[in-house]
Amino acid sequence: MSAKPGKILVDNLWFNNPVLIQVLGICSTLAVTNNVRNTLVMTVGVSLATAFSSWTLSLMKDLIPRKVRMIVQVLVISFYVIIIDILLRAYLPDASRQLGPYVGLIITNCIIMGRAEAFAAANKPLVSFWDGLTSGIGYMAVLVAIALVRELLGFGSVLGFRIMPDGFVPWTIMITAPSAFFLVAMVMWLARNLQARREAAAKAAKASPKPAAGPSPAKA
Amino acid sequence: MKKKFDRENIVYVVVFSFVVCAVFVAGLAAANEATAPKVRANREFASQAAVLDALGIAYSDPAEAASLYASAVRPIEGAVPRAYVAERPDGLHYAVEVTGAGLWGAITIVAAAGESLERLDGIQVLAQNETPGLGGRIDEPWFKEQFRGERVAGGRVRISAGAEAGGSGANDPEDGLVDGVSGATRTSQAMEQIIAAAIARLAEVAGGGK
Repeated sequence: MSAKPGKILVDNLWFNNPVLIQVLGICSTLAVTNNVRNTLVMTVGVSLATAFSSWTLSLMKDLIPRKVRMIVQVLVISFYVIIIDILLRAYLPDASRQLGPYVGLIITNCIIMGRAEAFAAANKPLVSFWDGLTSGIGYMAVLVAIALVRELLGFGSVLGFRIMPDGFVPWTIMITAPSAFFLVAMVMWLARNLQARREAAAKAAKASPKPAAGPSPAKA
Repeated sequence: MKKKFDRENIVYVVVFSFVVCAVFVAGLAAANEATAPKVRANREFASQAAVLDALGIAYSDPAEAASLYASAVRPIEGAVPRAYVAERPDGLHYAVEVTGAGLWGAITIVAAAGESLERLDGIQVLAQNETPGLGGRIDEPWFKEQFRGERVAGGRVRISAGAEAGGSGANDPEDGLVDGVSGATRTSQAMEQIIAAAIARLAEVAGGGK
């Protein structure tokens, strides 16, 4: 099995997006997306943790006994997450303080374990790294989109810069977790609908092949 | 014929697990050790900056904060939890660190006031684990700025529940009443308690207690 990097990218960003299609990592989607900056830090952390742990586990895959496979996966994942936590504490103390326990909770993000188990266990290191990174970016794309809406409507700002006019009354519900539920649902509905429509169109095209592409009757 | 390497052999499993754990834990220990001075410096800056903020002393960068702190603020020896005294143009001002129970975990704040304890100089939040976006908003400037120069009435500053709507806060410093965070009533109540405890502690420290 060897997938092409381009196909992996498209799959992880769209056709097999970890949040929209696989419905993984939802807990953090609800928790951190009320603020774009924290979302960015968190999702960059998830992307790096997924990429590096997939890479490491793929390097080690021929050495890992089946019996302790999951234990080793968790060990490697927590190693990278703790490294990220240490780096944040040392170089971005403010972000680290605001994110608090969420950085540590990256360990339990199902996307990382999912990619380690589903992809890295059967693929070469570099392509596993790429798969992990693009999965993280797929996760990031959805979360940042949701965070943009939530911060704009909940605080009237984006990345801390005030966007809305002074008279704007913030929607408190956008700051609280329930708003993430319905925003995620709306984005999922949109994505799945678009994909289903495309699939249907592709099927229809197959069933009744269009006349061979050739010089069509000239149109002036 | 070469015997296939047996990955499921119990000895191998044990040795492998042991070695892998040792290697990764050693990596973590090294990373922790390497960044420890930086983390300590960050923490020190955070605590000094919080004291300066609470006292209402403005600074623009860490270096300036460190020198201002060194020249203006003196920790009170033997005070537990930590307390500080600063000589300001209008007399002695005190700052105290107080920890109290929030909704989810402990909240640690620094509060400062002049010797007479008539008004708070300000407060700063050192550590909190409240709900981000709700209780966590006690760490936002609009909330903390409400306490700047707020009158202390009967040993406390009251926090009204769910009063804030636009993230602006109450601005009458005379009424001893500030806006709570809407949607975070329990955290707001906890802050009222903690600030009352801080005012009691300020009185103790200003009276020469440790």
